[in-house]
This record gives sequence, structure tokens and C-alpha cells, in this order.
Amino acid sequence: MVNGYFPQSLKEALELRAMYDAVPYGGGTDLMINADPDANYLFLNKVPELKQIAEDSQYIRIGASCTFTELMDHPLTPAILKEAVSQIAAPAIRNFGTVGGNIGNGSAKADSALIFFVTDSVVHLMSSKGERLLPIKEFYVGRKQLALAPDELITELLIPKTALCSYYYKKVGARKAQAISRVCFAGLMDIADGKIIKCSTAFGAVSEVVLRLDDIDSMLAGKTIEEAKILKPAYLKAFEQAIVPITGRISAEYRKDVCMNLLKDFLDTSGI
Amino acid sequence: MNISKSVTKKDHPRKMNGEAKYVSDYPTDGVLCGRLLHSARARARIMNVQIPALPEGYLVVDKNDVPGENLVHIVMDDTPVYADQTVEYIGDPILMVVGPDENEVKRILSEIRVEYEDLTPVFDVRDPAAEIFFDYHYGKGDVESAFAQADKIYTEQFRTGRQEQAYLEPQGMIGEPHDGRITVHGSMQCPYYIYGAVARAMGFEASRVQIRQDTTGGGFGGKEAYPSILACQVAVAAYKAGKPVRVIFDRREDMEFTSKRHPSLSTYKVAVKDGRVTAMDIDVTFDGGAYTTLSAVVLQRGIICASGIYKVDNLKVHGRAVKTNTVPSGAFRGFGAPQTFFAVEMMMDHIAKDLRIDALAFKQAHIVRQGDATSTGGKYHFPVPIPEMIEEVDRASNFREKKKKYQMQTGRYRRGIGMSMVFHGAGFTGSGERDHIKAVVKLHKYPDSTVEILASNSDIGQGLKTTFSKIVAQELNIPMERVIIHNPDTDRVPDSGPTVASRSLMTVGELLRRASIDLLAGWVDGEDQIVEEHFKEPDFVIPFYLDKFQGDAYPTYAWSVSAIEVEVDTFTGLSNILGAWGSFDVGTPIDMNIVVGQMEGGFMQGIGYASIEQIDADSKGRIRNNSFSDYIIPTSMDVPDMHVIMHVEKYPLGPYGAKGAGEIPLVGAPGAYLEAMEQALEVNLNHIPFSAEDTMKVLREEAKR
Amino acid sequence: MNTITFTLNGKAETYDGPSGTRLLDVLRDNFKLLGVKCGCNEGECGACSVIIDGKLANSCMVAMGSVHGSTVVTIEGYAVTERYAVLDKAYADVSAVQCGYCIPGMVLASECVLARNPHPTEEEIRDGISGNLCRCTGYNAIVHAITSAAEEGKGLW
Repeated sequence: MVNGYFPQSLKEALELRAMYDAVPYGGGTDLMINADPDANYLFLNKVPELKQIAEDSQYIRIGASCTFTELMDHPLTPAILKEAVSQIAAPAIRNFGTVGGNIGNGSAKADSALIFFVTDSVVHLMSSKGERLLPIKEFYVGRKQLALAPDELITELLIPKTALCSYYYKKVGARKAQAISRVCFAGLMDIADGKIIKCSTAFGAVSEVVLRLDDIDSMLAGKTIEEAKILKPAYLKAFEQAIVPITGRISAEYRKDVCMNLLKDFLDTSGI
Repeated sequence: MNISKSVTKKDHPRKMNGEAKYVSDYPTDGVLCGRLLHSARARARIMNVQIPALPEGYLVVDKNDVPGENLVHIVMDDTPVYADQTVEYIGDPILMVVGPDENEVKRILSEIRVEYEDLTPVFDVRDPAAEIFFDYHYGKGDVESAFAQADKIYTEQFRTGRQEQAYLEPQGMIGEPHDGRITVHGSMQCPYYIYGAVARAMGFEASRVQIRQDTTGGGFGGKEAYPSILACQVAVAAYKAGKPVRVIFDRREDMEFTSKRHPSLSTYKVAVKDGRVTAMDIDVTFDGGAYTTLSAVVLQRGIICASGIYKVDNLKVHGRAVKTNTVPSGAFRGFGAPQTFFAVEMMMDHIAKDLRIDALAFKQAHIVRQGDATSTGGKYHFPVPIPEMIEEVDRASNFREKKKKYQMQTGRYRRGIGMSMVFHGAGFTGSGERDHIKAVVKLHKYPDSTVEILASNSDIGQGLKTTFSKIVAQELNIPMERVIIHNPDTDRVPDSGPTVASRSLMTVGELLRRASIDLLAGWVDGEDQIVEEHFKEPDFVIPFYLDKFQGDAYPTYAWSVSAIEVEVDTFTGLSNILGAWGSFDVGTPIDMNIVVGQMEGGFMQGIGYASIEQIDADSKGRIRNNSFSDYIIPTSMDVPDMHVIMHVEKYPLGPYGAKGAGEIPLVGAPGAYLEAMEQALEVNLNHIPFSAEDTMKVLREEAKR
Repeated sequence: MNTITFTLNGKAETYDGPSGTRLLDVLRDNFKLLGVKCGCNEGECGACSVIIDGKLANSCMVAMGSVHGSTVVTIEGYAVTERYAVLDKAYADVSAVQCGYCIPGMVLASECVLARNPHPTEEEIRDGISGNLCRCTGYNAIVHAITSAAEEGKGLW
């Protein structure tokens, strides 16, 4: 008998999740660092329901066990998500790393998490007893803390189709490949008939959780480009005050400078 | 046959298909696993070591088990095999736990309690309490008078950081006691260094020691001296256990605790009169870490190069290697020269800028020529091809055009291009080759007319198996397939010296060539024959006296001109290397692909040294970024296709005109990179590694002004 | 479940140990496939590269349980193929092998680059091998080798 659990379906996975204390395993690319060889895993990498990418009237639905390479290759994957995941680590990690694992890690440096934040995505959580949809902002409650019940699994990430507009993405790491983000920034600017329908920004790797300050972003909602230009200084100042980067081996000053530069460039390139 | 014509490397097939055996690939049945307990304190007295109850078959090995002298001979004798009374850096090996199961060994290790009495550590080389390991002075001319008469005196300080060799194969050794002897094999550059060290630690006559090099996955100097320490520890452990013991470092252990490049701090005072440099007063400090190991020799080379490729008739150089309670610094490609060449190139660049003279033109006016005196009163006996190499690099890179073009840049992306020109003294500094190494090679011709090369130099990726074989095959006019060369085994090969100092091809290769000529002259078909060849110092060399630093420090020099073009993203501080060009004179390339491969690899390491490779001890002396995710070396996406030009000035005393090649490609990269960054950022810079954060700091200052 | 079953270098194999054991350790210790190297234990260097279900993987980051029902190819299995022969010659012609420690992984990464795109640009090659660290070569010769393998191996990929 080998240990660990090998569900053949989502239903089975949820049952096993409820019954046993086992670590959900997506691709292993985070879990396997310094892992205990005797750990009990719930292997989700081949559960068919978790590997679907689909579209309904409201969302692009991404299965939690979809790997980054699969996302890169799928026509339904939103362009901003494709761009972000194509810069994660290196091919071997992208081939096995999953969005579920990336989110489930709870790290503010998670490259796909940034995209789910900026698009105001929804996390689909299921257990053997039921399911719920949780806005991603409510899913991350603190540094590496998730609102995930012990019997729940992340099954899908739902990206609102309204978020599929023109975007800005920049990952800043220590080198061009295999780089943990020092700052990552994503921006969405939905403009129609000279008016801003919605502006969304998110900053990753600067704080304990991804920084999504939609109350500041909403300053620009409904404004014309000209009005937005007038509001620009106040908008930037609000972010200047709100972004307080953590200090680590990389200085907070560096992170702050980069964040503000990218934010300004996002506005500039959006015509504001 | 044109010796430079590339051939298929002898070791290619088995490395390609995975059959090549590295030390960690040896069978582990019946071999005990050993793991070291490293000091957790930077400087402390060991008061007590509490060992938990040991299961059957498990043992602890420490200083009390060293049969000979508890010291590892590396130039001097202050490195202990196992810590004696004190520990001097975080990582200092205290003991080894040995046993059949690795997990059990780890468990025992985690339960050992060491009681330390903290002593005050020193981390800064400028700390007055710091012990000075080595202190050298040398000079020539009249520096005081030149300074008194100068139009202007420039003073500047330069800093270079630590650098980790990051060979892909971590360090490892296996020790096997048998028949009253001890055999140690593993990943190494210098079998005979280890041989001597193990004999002393074991208290054995040398004949009872056997050292074998296994296929080695990179060294770059990191496996020049450190393996001697590990080998002594493993030999002692295996002897005590009465069974084979293997120690394979894991990456974090290797990165945190093994030798690295000396960090440096240099102050340059330069006198300029009528637009020319008339004197240099240079003060260099190298951070030697906790034990002396190779610091004396690294410092010697560093200070000998301190005035660069420039003719400086009035020179005063002072160098010190200082002890700090950090990982002992050791050899890394360049061996002291990258540090001072970086400083002098930047200094010349800054002076030129102040004088409003084009930096390249300014440097060109000072380049030494054949016949000129060296910094130590020796002579540049052979042509100095730098002027032609500058033109080669300019043609390839459009350096001058770009230098003019990238001015007063605004906008998000800013470009810059930099050039540096350096040499690397080929071979051991001074008379080390003649007085200490006394290299011997042998050729063994078998009755079937195959010929075996017997030398102690190790192929660590630089292609020695192939290049040595090419030389012998060429002289004997036999196919390469009939030349045999194995990884060196001290039972079978004479001491032809270590694989360091860019000496293997130039010095040992030449001995093999001469031996081949002798063999050919006395060749008898069907007979078993051995010829031997001994090193003889070339006649033209002006004897070098280390006490005064006078004479020819090196018989000849490899030369290089490097140019690097960068584009800086002012929003993120990140630099993109648009191009890297280098012209290298290492004499005749013994194999074009192999030599070009060495140039490319060294160039990349130099780029990393200047930019993204940062490794430092924190305020407690701990190296925190001890993994490949935090110690950033270039990936394939971080370096461009490097453009290498081989400029050949044959060295008459090297085989077919070859001279020292291994280290030169790294030495020039930092100066070229930082000059490029200076142009992009329009500011003078004085330290490496120069990171994205550093760039951002400069931009922030600029924005304030 | 009774046993983990997978295909290794074309042969059906089983594994009965803990499902959290690293694939790297099982390949080296149980199956004696020593061409799979350990360089970092963290999925950062690529020396442990293998191909799982046609995709490049860092075997140090793979739990045995996750390869149940999968196909695993190591350098030993790949080295008998026609494609390998093309890469072998291409690497040899430019002497792209120096110390060799990165090479088995690099060769499998090369295969995956060409399998994904038989005529890759230099940028695509560099991206494809970006997870395989090499300290010796500066990557130049390796990139050239993959480019010429793409040209020589017409129809193979």
C-alpha cells in the first residue's frame, strides 16, 4: 500500500479532503521544497474536472489544476494572465505549477494571484458539503493566510469577462528568468467613448498580500479622459501614501519607486 | 595539422549521455554517510559539545580523532581539520556525524548541542581590532615628488563584493581506508594539494595516501583549496570508522560555507600633470575571511595588477589581507586581479571625464608597450597587442560611435557602452613554479603504441583531457584515439602541479610537448617506454623576489579588451545587456571551440560579478542568500550572444604559442559593464556588484536635483 | 492504492514506497539512473531535468504519487533516440559540453524546445533552456548547438 490519495474525480477528491489530513498537491513546485518524504498528499494533478478551462456568460473559468503552460497554450486564457504566467520561473516549473497551487501558497509574490486580484476574480471553493464563491480579496486574509476551510479545495478561479480589456503588466525580478518578483504590477483600463468605465490596479510582492486599492482606483471611474488628467495628481498621491512596502533584502524605497513609476506609466500609456 | 582546429572533446560522449561518473554517482552500498556540524557562531569558544546517545553503527568524528596534525596545509597551517578551541566563522566545521542512514545522521546532527562562549567577532575590514593576515608594500620611482608637482590629484575609493563560484556540482569526497592506506576521491582541481594535506592530517607517510580526481562538475577556483579541508575531514572519519565515508554537500551548505572571492576596498590616489598620469598611490584591502588559506597569493596578484595595463613610472602600492569572522575567502577565476583591474579602469575613466578627454583616448595614451617595465620592475618581454585589440572590438561593437551617441538621454530607456582593457599574468606569481611546484610529467608508451599522459592536472570542464591529448597526438603524429588520459590518480601520476593560475596548458602542456618529442626520438616499436619531463624556468625571466616585489612576476601575459553595451530601464532599475564583445589574446588556441568556450564562460561570470551576483554576510556574520533562488547567476536569458575574437600573439615558450587562458575572460568584464552603466546614468560609479537597487538610488538622487 | 505504476524509459515500472518521495531520489537510488543529477534541491538549476508526459520537469520537485499513470523519460532513455543523435553531433561540433554537470538536463530541455517548436528563434531557445543553469559555457555554444540541431534534424521534430 502506498500512502497518499489519488482521487479520480472531483467528487472523490472532496470526499478524501473531508476525511483525511492530507496536503493538496497541484504541481509540487512549491510543496516539494524541503518536503517530508512521508507527507500524505492529496494528488489533484490529474483530476479531470480541475483541468478544464471554460467560458460561461459571466466568467472565464480556470480549473485549479491547470498548469501555467496549459494556460499559455489555451485560446480562452485572458491575455494578461498569459503574459503573467509566461514569465513565471522557467519552463519546467510552468509545466507543472498550477493556479490552485499558486493561490494556495498564500504568497503575495504569486504571479498569477496578482492577475486574479486586478481582475477582481472569484475563487470557487468546494467541499463535500457544499460550495461557495469568494472574491479573491476576501480569500487572502493576511500574510500567507487564506480563508480556506480544512475540508475545502480551490476548484476554479473565475475571471469576470468584464475585465478583459486593455491591460498593463510588468514583473520586476532580479533577472529575466527564474526570478521571484520584487515588484509586480498589473493595470486594467476599460475606456469607451472617451470615458473610463473602470480602472483597476494591483501591486504584488510589496506587501503581505496583493495590494488592490479599488477605492483609490474608483476615483477615475466614470470620468472622461480630461477629467481623469485633472485627478491624476491626487490619484498618484493617494497611492504614494497607501503603498508602504515591506522591507526585506530589497529596500522598501526601491519597491516604492518602482511601484510609482509603473503606475505612472500605466496612466501615461492609457492616455491619461 | 593546425593545432587550433577544433576536435570532438574526449569527454563529450559520456557527459552527454549521462554516463560520466561524478563523486555522488559512486555506489553507496557499504559506504557510510557523513555530514558536518557547522558552527552557528561567527566567533566563539567551544565550551562543551553534547552528543546524544548514538545508535549502533553511528559515530562522531572531531579534533580528537585526527591521527596526525589537526591542520589543513593550504600555503600556511592555520585552518583546522576540525575546530579546535574556537570557531572563527559561521560554518566552521566542528565535527562530523557518520552512519549508514542519511536521515538518521541528520537527526543525530540536529540533536547535538554546542555550548558557545561568544567572543567579539570582526566583520568590517576597517575595524581597528581586525587582525592583519598579510601586509605588502612595493613601489618604484618617486611618488612624492610626482604628487608635489602634479596639476591635480584624484582620490577615489572602490569596492568589490564577494562572489560565489556556483559550480553546478556541489563539493563532495569519499574516503576509503584499506590495506593500511587511505584513498580519497572526489571533486577537485588539485590532487597533490590534497595528497600533502591528507598525509599531514593523518600523520601518514605520503606513500600511504592516494588521491583520485573524479569527473568534476566545475571548479573556477572554488575547488582549489577547499577540497583539501573536506578531504582531511573525510579521511579522518573513514579511518576512525574503518569503513568508506562519503560527504556530499548540498547546495545551501556549499553556498554558505565554502570559499568565495575576496571582497575588496581600494583607495587610488593619482597624480596628473599635463593631461598625463604621473604617479599612483594605491592602497588595497582584501577581506580574507577567517583563515589565511590563499589570501597571501591572491593579494600578491591583486596588488601586482593594481596599476593596470598603464605605464606608471612612479608607483606606490600597499596591500593588506585582513581577517574577518566570515567564510575564508579563496580562489576564484582571476584570483585578486578582477578586484584591482576594476578599480584602475574606473579610476582612469573618471580622471578622463574630469579632464574632458575621451576615456578611451586617455587610456590609450598610457598603455604599456613591449620592452616597458612592469609594475614590479620586470619587463613586458613580448608584444602588447592592446591597441590592435581595441580596434577589433570597436569594429565589432561600434564602440566609438555609440559612445558619442549615448549622450544627454532622457526618456525611459537609457543606453551606455563601456570598454576595459586588462591583462592576466600567465602562470604562478613569481618563482612559485620553479621553487615550489617543480612540475613533472610523464608519458607512458605501451607496447601496442598507445600513449598515456601522466600528469596531475584535472579536467574541470576546460577541456584539458582534449587539449593535452591534442598536443601529444600532434607531436607524435598519432591519432587522438591512441592517446590515453584518465582523471589523475596520485598512485599513477607525478606531480605536475595544480590546475590553477591559467598554467595548465601553457606550462604543463609545454612539458607534455617536450616529453612527446623525447619519446618520439627514442621510440621503439613494441616496447614499454616511459619518458619524464621536468619544468625549467625560461631564461629570459627576470627573477622575482617576493620580499621586495621586484622582478618578472609573470613570464608573459594574456591580454583582453572587453566592451559591454547596456540599456537601463529607469522605471525599474533593471539593465538589459544588449551586447558583449571581447578580444582575447591567449596565444595560439590549442582548440578553437574549447578556448572560445572558456572566453564565453569567463565573460559571463564577469558580467554576473559586476551586476546581479550579490552574496554578503549580515550583521551576525551569516550568509543568508545561500541558494540558487537568492544568489542570482545569469540564466540563458540574461546574457546576449557574446562576441569573442581571438587575437593571437604566440608565446614562444608555450606549446605552439599558447599561453595562460582560463582566467583572462572574466577580468575585463566588470570595468566594461560599469563604464556602460556610468554612461547610461550619467554619473560616476565606484562599486560592484551594481544592482537594480543601486541604479534606482542614482535615479532617485538625479530626480531630486 | 497498492502501488504506483508508471512508464520509465519505455518500460512499465512500479514503486511501493511513500508517495511523497522525490522522483529524483527514486530514479537515482532505486533505478540507478545516475544521469539525473542533483544540483540544488529547489527546482532552480535544472540538473535534475526529466521529461514527464512529454513535458520538461525538475525531478527534485516531483512527488512519486504525481507520476502514477505517467510516462517518465531520463537522459538514459533519450540517449538511444535518433533525435538524441542529432543533438549529440550538434553539441559536439561546437564543444558545448564543458564540465558536463548541466548537460543531461540541458539535452532534455533542448528536446523539449524542439518538440514544442522545430524552428525556434534564438529568443525561444533561450527561454526554453532558461531553467537550466550553466556556469561554464555562458550558454552561447548551447544555443548554437540547438539552432544547428533544428536545421540538421529536419523532419525529426
